[in-house]
Amino acid sequence: MEKYRANLLLCAGTGCVASGTQEVKEALKEELKKRDLEDEIKLVLTGCNGFCAEGPVMLVYPEEIFYQKLTVEDIPKLVEEHFLKGRPYEKLMFREPEKRAAIPLMNDIPFFKYQVLRVLRNKGMIDPDSLDEYIARDGYMAAAKALTGMTSEEIIKTIKDSGLRGRGGAGFPTGLKWEFASKSQADQKYMLCNGDEGDPGAFMDRSVMEADPHSVIEGMVIGAKAIGATKGVIYVRAEYPLAVQRLQKAIEDCREAGLLGENILDSGFSFDVEIYLGAGAFVCGEETALMRSIEGKRGMPRPRPPFPAHKGLWDKPSVLNNVETLAQIAPTILNGSEWYRTLGTEKSPGTKVFALTGDIRNVGLVEVPMGTPLKRIIYDIGGGIKKKKKKFKSVQMGGPSGGCIPESLLDIPVTYEDIVKTGAIMGSGGMVVMDEDTCMVSTSKFFLEFTADESCGKCTPCRVGTRVMLDMLTDITEGKGKEGDIETLEDLSRDIIATSLCGLGQTAPNPVLSTIRYFREEYESHIRDHWCKTGICSHLCSFHISEELCKGCQACLKACPQQAIIGEKKKAHRIIQELCIQCRSCYDTCKFGSIKIGPPGKKDLPAPVSKAEDK
Amino acid sequence: MADDFRILVVDDEAVITRSCQRILQAEGYNVETASSGKDAVLKMEQAGYNLVLTDLKMPEMDGITLIKWMKNNRPDAGVVIITGYPSQETIKDALDVGIIDYVPKPFTPAVLLDVTGRAVEWVKGKTGVEEKPKEEFPPSMISELDRVIEQYKTKPGSSIPVLQRAQEIVGYLPPQIMKRVARGLNLSPAEVHSIVSFYSFFTMKPRGDHNIRICLGTACYVKRVEESINKLKAELKIDVGDVTEDKKFSLETVRCLGACGLAPVMVIDDKTYGAVSPKKIKDILGSYS
Repeated sequence: MEKYRANLLLCAGTGCVASGTQEVKEALKEELKKRDLEDEIKLVLTGCNGFCAEGPVMLVYPEEIFYQKLTVEDIPKLVEEHFLKGRPYEKLMFREPEKRAAIPLMNDIPFFKYQVLRVLRNKGMIDPDSLDEYIARDGYMAAAKALTGMTSEEIIKTIKDSGLRGRGGAGFPTGLKWEFASKSQADQKYMLCNGDEGDPGAFMDRSVMEADPHSVIEGMVIGAKAIGATKGVIYVRAEYPLAVQRLQKAIEDCREAGLLGENILDSGFSFDVEIYLGAGAFVCGEETALMRSIEGKRGMPRPRPPFPAHKGLWDKPSVLNNVETLAQIAPTILNGSEWYRTLGTEKSPGTKVFALTGDIRNVGLVEVPMGTPLKRIIYDIGGGIKKKKKKFKSVQMGGPSGGCIPESLLDIPVTYEDIVKTGAIMGSGGMVVMDEDTCMVSTSKFFLEFTADESCGKCTPCRVGTRVMLDMLTDITEGKGKEGDIETLEDLSRDIIATSLCGLGQTAPNPVLSTIRYFREEYESHIRDHWCKTGICSHLCSFHISEELCKGCQACLKACPQQAIIGEKKKAHRIIQELCIQCRSCYDTCKFGSIKIGPPGKKDLPAPVSKAEDK
Repeated sequence: MADDFRILVVDDEAVITRSCQRILQAEGYNVETASSGKDAVLKMEQAGYNLVLTDLKMPEMDGITLIKWMKNNRPDAGVVIITGYPSQETIKDALDVGIIDYVPKPFTPAVLLDVTGRAVEWVKGKTGVEEKPKEEFPPSMISELDRVIEQYKTKPGSSIPVLQRAQEIVGYLPPQIMKRVARGLNLSPAEVHSIVSFYSFFTMKPRGDHNIRICLGTACYVKRVEESINKLKAELKIDVGDVTEDKKFSLETVRCLGACGLAPVMVIDDKTYGAVSPKKIKDILGSYS
């Protein structure tokens, strides 16, 4: 094998590719050639690094220097400075917003500093298309150990003792699931992987499949041995073409290397995997629905029992594990259950990957030990709210099945049990941060739109109930809410939860219930005063310029599409209410916070904003 | 009723053929009669008929034999049976040889007119639809589709992969393509339709040259993707799910593209655009002209 002086690990995850990885790659290649550095420096395209907001990103080994926001124009200078003169190029390094100093090393950057990587152990480190590189990072050692040196019972005991819980959302103990399936008698069993990442706002499974496809396959091989399955299926969304391509390549390489197929590693055990493309239905994340879908039918859930461990795909015992769950199997088998339990809490051991997005500074994928306080994730790793003067309002966890957690609860540790107590759920790990400009009624309406649309229609309470709730929420956001609507919403929620068959219906009302629980006064203000204080519901607000705060910079005047703002330079501006269409452009443009949001219909100028706020 | 649509009523009881002829002619149908299966064959060899209403039990040549003869020799004509024995077996036999509907004896004029009316529509619709593929889809496309169907035919649960490939080949899934898939995989058209309508990946409408998919995920929502969608609608002058008049762009929304770090996200064909805003929309669309 050739040795290189330096390795350039350029991120080729979906985020970075959209930000220009391909162009940067070509420029780098050309520049290295021009400077005659091709034989000394190796360029590797890796899977998602996780720090998506700063893409394209690149890590330089062996020093571990982190470069971000690369552009084609920067490349000649970067190559000259770093690789010819040996001076890392500060201009492209990460800087904390308030501080000037550049942070050269990846692990000194707060976003990376607090993370512990188990699931994402290979992210941004290896070429995902290379089986050799995976093996160089201890890949398939665990599979070899499990296949040649462990019995099915020993594997299941290790996973059971580790306390690993399914990362798909509900947190069912993985070892237990495997045990049930291993005890079922059948001529054929199936080991399935759920890569149908449906929760909007979550993208960890996509990243794992793109950055480290072999970790998923290895987990499946071990699971197959544990339950006695000879066939496996990875169910992936068709919206993830890169993940499909990488998994396909990984499967082919494994077959060629004898890691999949007949008599793997001469252990007498045979197992093969194929990919099944999902066709876009949120409900297919539910296990019985997913299995129906593989059978080529409408993906609708069925009652359990019989549980899939007894009667699953094609009525044969089947185990369905989430991508993130499977990616943790190999290190756990290799290092033992005690090692697994060194992180996390008693009931929620290990680490969890979160997709941190929304109004937050550092957007990306983060992996932290279970039990880490929410505050640490949002402020230390995430860097807090993106817009300087805005305050934190809420963090949404668990997608359309989850809820909104308010600031007062940010000290709670992230574990399955603690998150449920807040009315949200762990879910697959989406964490969407919202600042004070978010209207919570509109947010719960957004989620209801999603679930009403994705309800498969089997259970009437879910199909009709979510629609009725959505209509009520729409009315509230349009000023047609009535006294008693909040109570009706709560009643309906309870009924839908109690009478729906699958997780979709049982959790669909959660976003509504949790926002009513923590932000009830916002609902009341919408219903009673017809006032949306965030100015999101355009029927329920009016915009005014505070005379004391306005600097007369004319920025809002230029931004207004209606020419509804008048005023001379350096003098307070005014909004002509008759022309205003409540588009918020002025509000978003003003740097001084001088635009205030009042109740609707305040036509007289200037509006007594301070009084309106006292109301 | 246009004169070129011709109906033949076949029954060994003259009272039936006469009354049928009277009832149908009163509604403007062009109707002739035959007294047996053999008589019907002779008549059909003389002239073309679009719809045949026939009894099952007749001397010389019974209804089922007549229908079989028609399937081989007059496949475009529709068949409705008139039967005094609407038991499940006789209906099933007749369905197996390909009838549209049946009229149970004794019947009222209203029943006869109702069944005939629907059968006429069906025959017209069928001949219209069956001719279309030859016009709309090049034979290479159809043979490629048939090759895919052949490849998956024996594999259980292959309907979704086949439909995905079919959509790749044709671009969308119109009724005639769904029917072809159904026939190939030995499913009913209804089963195929139930799958196509369930999954959001499938579309029954043609797409534009460039397909725009804009993300409706939570992260994009929080970053107010709505404003960009409105801008797109205004610029393209279409609604979500439609195609522009010049067939250049089609606009769809998706539930989450899993690229939340770039929110709001939009994908045109295979290219991902991050952090889109109403301001950027015009430039992005402009780059496709």
